[in-house]
Amino acid sequence: MQIQGHILSEFDEALNTLKANTITMATLTQKNVENAFTGLTQRDLSICNQVIADDEEVDQLEIQIDNDSLQIMAKFQPFASDLRLVVASMKVTHNLERISDHAVSIAKRSRKIIKSEDIDEVALIEPAYQQALLMLKNAILCYTEGSTEKALEVLSMEDDLNKFHKIASKSYTKKLEEPSDHYKIFLNLVFITRWIERVGNLSTNIAEDVIFMESAQDIRHGGELEE
Amino acid sequence: MININNVSFSYDKGKTEVLKNISLDIPEKKVTSFIGPSGCGKSTLLRCINRMNDLVETSMITTGQIDVMGQNINSKEVDPIELRKHIGMVFQKYNPFPKSIYDNVAYGLRIQGIKNKKTLDQAVERSLRGAALWDEVKDRLKDSALGLSGGQQQRLCIARAIAVQPKIILMDEPCSALDPIATAKVEELITELREEFTIVIVTHSMQQASRISDHTAFFYLGELIEYGQTDTIFQNPSKKRTEDYISGRFG
Ligand SMILES: Nc1ncnc2c1ncn2[C@@H]1O[C@H](COP(=O)(O)OP(=O)(O)OP(=O)(O)O)[C@@H](O)[C@H]1O
Ligand SMILES: [Mg+2]
Repeated sequence: MQIQGHILSEFDEALNTLKANTITMATLTQKNVENAFTGLTQRDLSICNQVIADDEEVDQLEIQIDNDSLQIMAKFQPFASDLRLVVASMKVTHNLERISDHAVSIAKRSRKIIKSEDIDEVALIEPAYQQALLMLKNAILCYTEGSTEKALEVLSMEDDLNKFHKIASKSYTKKLEEPSDHYKIFLNLVFITRWIERVGNLSTNIAEDVIFMESAQDIRHGGELEE
Repeated sequence: MININNVSFSYDKGKTEVLKNISLDIPEKKVTSFIGPSGCGKSTLLRCINRMNDLVETSMITTGQIDVMGQNINSKEVDPIELRKHIGMVFQKYNPFPKSIYDNVAYGLRIQGIKNKKTLDQAVERSLRGAALWDEVKDRLKDSALGLSGGQQQRLCIARAIAVQPKIILMDEPCSALDPIATAKVEELITELREEFTIVIVTHSMQQASRISDHTAFFYLGELIEYGQTDTIFQNPSKKRTEDYISGRFG
């Protein structure tokens, strides 16, 4: 993605700022997801609370990026790859905001979980979490680098994510069917597993936004990427 | 409708070519825009279509052929005056004659020898309505055309062009001297005229080209760089030069 080289240097600057803010928002979102998981596994209440607080900054950045995008469209009337960068950034931002919301949901449930006794089964969500986090990291990287190749990689990771999600949620529902003192914890873990899966799904949305940005092709809902 | 086949053009008897091997098929009843930096040859190509360049004595098409409605327009049998009856032209600098509004519109018909008042009245009204000007001028048809606003004068020139019922209308930067509202009116008019006419328009406004045209041709230094659906040209052009030009980058 070339941003330099517009005759109006102000236009270059506006696009660069937009991209930088989107990357900042992505970094914060990633940190929130990681902190939510750490809060749960390390049983750290203050980290859980921090996720909830930090989400505010993500929300503010989303608003800022939306405003800046509108400004750019009104002021510079971008075309072609410039236009796609602006539209894609708005969509990426929207997906990031939802990912960060899921991090908050995870943190809130984790606060409840760590109030009760520590159980080994918490570790069962780890594979799904690691997969979702990797997908998010790669999705952010493909936006930063404008790489269609990396984006396709993210899409190909979704099958394993589904697999890990199924394994974890099956184990928890099974536990729920047996009489247990910990049923509330298992119920919360079912929710958390679901949100982790959503983080991965939303990361594939970001990858699709990047593919649109780079190639002008819409491959959502089963479309195939053409050469 | 208009088939331009491998056309090269020179203003100085072939010494320098300002158009180089241009091939382009312009479809019927669509709006096609020509875009590109100043001096790239847009107006020259436009004027080739109705042989307006004939007025420059040393000018010549050095290679290639232009067919309009299947007829080679540069063949011996074609009379340029006759050709221009089928191909109207609207210029950047709107140029109504210093006559009444009515006489401006009736001009082309009178040249064709039409004298019947009723026929002329009907043609004037139809053309002014066609140019979306009728309601604004119907009570002052005998007033001088020069008393109209710039935007109205340009629409009057469009009315004058369509009065003789051409098949094709060529427009060279028709809105460059108009304010945004007058421009919007002309653009809306162009969109309506597409139902009946084939329109080729030269414009420096990327927004205008993307709003009103079905196809867009991008020229650079006398060459046709890219020609295609307007949506494709403005959202995902295939040539870097096109992308650089439409997004305002250093070429
Ligand atoms: N009557 C003429 N005699 C000689 N050379 C001409 C004539 N008209 C145009 N040219 C030259 O031909 C080239 C193309 O000019 P043309 O007017 O077609 O460009 P254009 O793309 O319409 O530019 P603009 O956007 O500035 O109107 C230029 O180099 C110009 O100097
Ligand atoms: Mg010109």
